[in-house]
Amino acid sequence: MEQFVVFRPSGEVLYHFGASGRKLQEQQVNKIVSELVGSPPRKTSNNGFPVINLGSFAAMYTSTMQPHVFYLVTFAAETLELSQLANKLLQLGTDLWASLGLNEIIAQNLSGRNEKNEHNFTWCLNGAGELIGKFGEYFGAKFDEICSETRSLNGEAQQQTQAAPSLLGSVSKAQGKSKSKKKPQKGTGVKNRKWGRDGIMEDTYEGDSSTLDFSESASDFVAASESRENSVVDESTFGTRTGKGEFLIKEIDELLSKSKEVKSRQQQASTTTGAFGFLQKHLMGNKTISTTDLKTTLDKFRQKLITKNVAPEAAEYLCSQISQDLVGSKTPNWTSVEAVAKQSLQTSLTNILTPGVSVDLLREIQEKTATVDGKGHKSPYVFSVVGVNGVGKSTNLSKLAFWLLQNNLKVLIVACDTFRSGAVEQLRVHVENLAQLTDSAHKRGSKNKRGKTGNDHVELFESGYGGSDLVTKIAKQAINYARDNAFDIVLMDTAGRRHNDPTLMSPLKSFADQANPDKIIMVGEALVGTDSVQQAQNFNAAFGKERNLDFFIVSKCDTVGDMLGAMVNMVYATGIPILFVGVGQTYTDLRTLSVKWAVDTLMS
Amino acid sequence: MNETITISLLILIITTSLLLIIQRQSGNLIPGLPGQKIKNRNPTFIIAGPCGSGKTALFSLLTTDTVKPTVMSQEVNVAYDYMLPSTVKHLKFNLMEFPGHVKLRYRLFEALKESSTIKGLVFVVDSTVDPQKLTDTAEFLHDILAITERVPNGVDVLIACNKSELFTARPARKIREVLEREIAKVIERRAKSLSSVQKGEAGAETDDTNDGFNSHGPLLEYNSTKGFKFEFLEGNVDAVSGSVQKQNIDKWECWVDERAIN
Repeated sequence: MEQFVVFRPSGEVLYHFGASGRKLQEQQVNKIVSELVGSPPRKTSNNGFPVINLGSFAAMYTSTMQPHVFYLVTFAAETLELSQLANKLLQLGTDLWASLGLNEIIAQNLSGRNEKNEHNFTWCLNGAGELIGKFGEYFGAKFDEICSETRSLNGEAQQQTQAAPSLLGSVSKAQGKSKSKKKPQKGTGVKNRKWGRDGIMEDTYEGDSSTLDFSESASDFVAASESRENSVVDESTFGTRTGKGEFLIKEIDELLSKSKEVKSRQQQASTTTGAFGFLQKHLMGNKTISTTDLKTTLDKFRQKLITKNVAPEAAEYLCSQISQDLVGSKTPNWTSVEAVAKQSLQTSLTNILTPGVSVDLLREIQEKTATVDGKGHKSPYVFSVVGVNGVGKSTNLSKLAFWLLQNNLKVLIVACDTFRSGAVEQLRVHVENLAQLTDSAHKRGSKNKRGKTGNDHVELFESGYGGSDLVTKIAKQAINYARDNAFDIVLMDTAGRRHNDPTLMSPLKSFADQANPDKIIMVGEALVGTDSVQQAQNFNAAFGKERNLDFFIVSKCDTVGDMLGAMVNMVYATGIPILFVGVGQTYTDLRTLSVKWAVDTLMS
Repeated sequence: MNETITISLLILIITTSLLLIIQRQSGNLIPGLPGQKIKNRNPTFIIAGPCGSGKTALFSLLTTDTVKPTVMSQEVNVAYDYMLPSTVKHLKFNLMEFPGHVKLRYRLFEALKESSTIKGLVFVVDSTVDPQKLTDTAEFLHDILAITERVPNGVDVLIACNKSELFTARPARKIREVLEREIAKVIERRAKSLSSVQKGEAGAETDDTNDGFNSHGPLLEYNSTKGFKFEFLEGNVDAVSGSVQKQNIDKWECWVDERAIN
């Protein structure tokens, strides 16, 4: 456990707790936030909090809305013990935060009705200094306790490991189930060992070690820290072992269980209904939005999105974003709930489609081709294009080549599709066309000074037809050839392949390893619809863990009208940006994506 | 008795609908950028800049007079009717601080287009960054300028070179020069990029009006013989060093002050 941080999405750190009094490490939090902002939407499992593993450290986070607050625990590595600890701490932190009424104070301050300072501004933690101090005190006390508990539990676990190799597995199982608080007594016929809540083994039986079940002890420990789940837990007996700080902990537990009661009571309270509620919802605004208000609107949106070719799961995700965004918030005056929801949908769509990294291809090409190796050769910038059959890989590759040629770059087009008959000949036609476009004196069918199809600006590298070994061989040869002959760009066309056929997809990994392109582009067609989720996912996964796709080109956008859902699907599934869209048949019909255009089209 | 109720109800409905219509329409009445709805008419100062330059820290220093720990922002920070203590009383403006993450920058661009009276823009830069690596920052500044220069008379920009207390900090003058040079390169590259897809191009309607607009709005004016200079712009661009950590932001406050009064 390294640190526990409470912060607002506006960047303000509200509270932070460093293990052994360490200072706040912003770098860690920044990395996590950047990951949260830029990565594809995560599916939240109902089993505990989402975890982000960044290699050098891992983090577990959760957030509450109204007011929007993030809670984050970072720890050294994603081990079972630490994840368990982090889970408990996060649960404790959120419960404590809520039960001390800090959320209400922040919401009150943010609403701007409170006292203002000389700058006419209310800081969100205004007047909460005492409570934050209290929070720190309580959290510190509980932290020590949870740590020592986990240590003693794991100490025992270590003792048992020799006898029970599968112990760790069963603990994790128990942890997963601990939320439901039911002890899973499996009828295996083997007697289980039991541990008391003070961590001492109560009765031991000889039994098959593989069925050891730690659920009781684990669930009790978790339950103690989250007694809101478990109001029956006897607070009087809990904490006797700690001695010092016992009183404090009892106080905290009481606080936690009280807040749980209040919360459940609040949920039962009904909201305003009847004619006035109707007017508020549709006309007057200033209404606190509840889940029921949103239901019909969201159903409508979902239907609409699906008719625009958005995959159901992506539509579902967008709708959940809206309800997460809006439930509990107030509509502005004279604004209906639907209008607010529409605004929110627009924001969510923009959020999904906006690239998380800026891709300036010309700059990257300039930088790469500026570097010169030992022999005085500059290294070419390598693109490779992948995709399903017939989506327009070769066509878009040629469009890309045309744009690069217009920027006075020397382009080598490589025929890596050695499978489909006519693929090489097709590329030859493209190269002839491009050669003619760059130099009107070029005669079709003539060879350049190196005896290849094309001219000085654009050239075709071909090596006939063959198996997948040939593909990597051609790719490597082509790159060397480009280096020797001072080409700036290498464009590799690959064979189209079905994304759900492993025998066709597996050669992609070795191809990417061997050729190591600077950019791997997937061409997807806008026509495809729901399958685009799978296509994008499978192609993205095909290059192994180390390598991802770099961006998408969405082709045939001119054929679908306003049904641009495939774009959303592809970015939703992978988080990889769309850079270009194909809007026609000619070489100039390649455009950069305008997010505003896509969102407007989808919303119309 | 019944009639009075009916009449009063009718009046109520008519006034409500009128109010609604007026509210919907009023957005288009005030001239601004073409085709853009103006949503924010209050005098506004904007704080922007790349990630990790200290925008949120500056915001909280300006609003609460204390330096607070901050992490990467995901949302816009707004202080409505903000007052500088030094200025004349009743001189209020909105202070908005935008996140620097690439994925969230569109909010800044939208806000720039939707505001009619931007008094000034504070572009916070980390002055310890190697000048060679300012390309991204220059790109960001270019995108901002491309929007603000469309406003009549432009928007004044302060390049606030933060973290001047650190040993590796570069002088403001140097940063300004590097940014100028890099923006020139950005403009050249952008001119060569593919234009962005537009309404009608990929849809059913065939509307062949290609304004030559680039994906990032129109390009800044650029004269290849003279290079790019901030002086050519409509708005003034100043580069001033300062430090949020050391609470040494007097010069920046002065800059804001001057523009707030005008």
